[in-house]
Amino acid sequence: MVRIDFERVFEALSSPHMVVDRQLRYVAVNAAYERVTMRTREEMIGRHLFDLFPNEGESGRRLRSSFERVFATGEMDSLPYISYDIQRPEEQGGGMEQRYWSAVHTPLGDGEGNVAYVVQNTVDVTELVRLRQAAHLPFRFGEIKLLERAQEAERQHSALLEEAEDFRRLFQQAPGFIAVLSGPEHIFTFANDAYLRLIGGRAVLGKKVRDALPEVEGQGFFEMLDRVLATGQPTGGEAVRLFLQRAAGEEPRETFVDFSYDPIRDGAGQVTGIFVQGMDRTEAVKTQRRQRLLLDELNHRVKNTLATVQSIASQTMRSARDLESARADLEARIVALSKAHDLLSAQQWANTELTTLVRQELSVHDRDRVRVDGPWLLLDPKTSIALALVTHELSTNAAKYGALSSANGKVSVNWRLSERQPRDLQLVWTERDGPPVEAPRRRGFGSRMIERVVSGELGGTYEAEFSPQGFACRINIPLNA
Amino acid sequence: MQPNEMPGKFDGLRIFVVEDEALVAMNLEMILEDLGCTIIGPAMRFDRAEAMVGGELAADAAILDVNVGGHEVFPLAARLAEKGMPIIFATGYDQSGIPKEWHERPMLQKPYTSDDVARALAQALPGKRPGVPTGK
Repeated sequence: MVRIDFERVFEALSSPHMVVDRQLRYVAVNAAYERVTMRTREEMIGRHLFDLFPNEGESGRRLRSSFERVFATGEMDSLPYISYDIQRPEEQGGGMEQRYWSAVHTPLGDGEGNVAYVVQNTVDVTELVRLRQAAHLPFRFGEIKLLERAQEAERQHSALLEEAEDFRRLFQQAPGFIAVLSGPEHIFTFANDAYLRLIGGRAVLGKKVRDALPEVEGQGFFEMLDRVLATGQPTGGEAVRLFLQRAAGEEPRETFVDFSYDPIRDGAGQVTGIFVQGMDRTEAVKTQRRQRLLLDELNHRVKNTLATVQSIASQTMRSARDLESARADLEARIVALSKAHDLLSAQQWANTELTTLVRQELSVHDRDRVRVDGPWLLLDPKTSIALALVTHELSTNAAKYGALSSANGKVSVNWRLSERQPRDLQLVWTERDGPPVEAPRRRGFGSRMIERVVSGELGGTYEAEFSPQGFACRINIPLNA
Repeated sequence: MQPNEMPGKFDGLRIFVVEDEALVAMNLEMILEDLGCTIIGPAMRFDRAEAMVGGELAADAAILDVNVGGHEVFPLAARLAEKGMPIIFATGYDQSGIPKEWHERPMLQKPYTSDDVARALAQALPGKRPGVPTGK
């Protein structure tokens, strides 16, 4: 079997060839290239193309963008006609030498689907151009025609390219995300700014989609791409959920996208790639979801509050002596509930502070006759509402039958926290200097409610004491239970 | 307004009540007493309800608040359903707050009336009469 040394083939090619890497540094040149550029390989290998052959003008820009296109798209690109002057070495007289070239740039993969190098085959067409200036020579006519055709082709190509550049810029800055995938392995050949934002700025160009976005494996998208390529049928979805790495080094995050995969066809109608476009809808979907949650929660609270009010109403009516006292009691109880809601609302329904809660309920009474004393303590919403209602009943009873029903009676509310863990709230309500009291024969709704709230709902204990000195009660409630 | 059900239909029924809000529980108790039922509980805290479900619970049906002090009641419902106990859910949410497997069960949406409770009981205990033991 014949084994060919391709390095020697490259070296022996009669046409000038060179290879540059992604930084446009020379990796290899052949002898023909050395001759045409009047440089040795030692001068060139490892050096930057534009350091050796600077060109700040239009030609330099065109050459650079041709290289960039090949690296970005993985597709061959050609410059049929380009004027590019190069510096003549000192030993050959120095100065700039006007040259005309025709170049073809071919991508060279790294074996993993990435464009690692570009091979340039360049032909010095200076002689042909000079011949054009001697157009009167009839026997050169054919060659001149050829050159004119090349120049015409280049002009058309440039116009097309400029148009393509405009589109590229539009796509690049479009608000929606756009990517172009090429071939059966879905190699990224284009990804706009919005797409890069979506995937956390990862370098994906030239990579297979499965390598570029490994976290998407198993979420059904690669299979959809395969199907679009196989069937030519477009597909997509709205507010589709996926987990995507949104920033370098981060865990994949829940993301929602509207997207479509549309087949790209070549001239023969064959599907060669996929046009990916869509919108990142994560924020919109999450906002919608938060609103839904808030509405559900609000509805739940309203319904529970209505159920509480309903219970207060029906039991107040049932236990009242007459309609007028029922109306007054009901009103006062609903207002107490409402004030507790105000306190909670002011703290985003997180908690209330016990001193504030007790003082608020007792605020209708003369300040000098009420003493409130206890450590600062935050209560959860449920305990807040429960204790507000309990305080309201105690305060109402004091005003109707107890110490606050006489001219000089006083109420003191003291509490402390138990030493042992888990802590208990130990609250003592004491009425003094009022009329003597005795236990009522029939327990009204108020005292039944206090009992129920404290022992049932709050899991604590309630002890009431009726004595000639006045009413007193002791409430113990486990906290964090 | 007269209840839709025959008076006395629910006499003597023992109803297990789980409801974490004292006032709502009091109202339900009052309604059930008016219907002639005996109340088992009410359990107002999850641990208490759990202990009662785990013990010798002699009840003909259960009315369960869906959310008991931040705990979902469904694990307890499953244990009661295993024993063949008819279950009624009470909730401030609509049906979307209840898992699909429970959608066949009667639901009381808060706030509910005495008629609503009677209807739910009739639905949970079709053809039931007091004193007839709950079979499987």
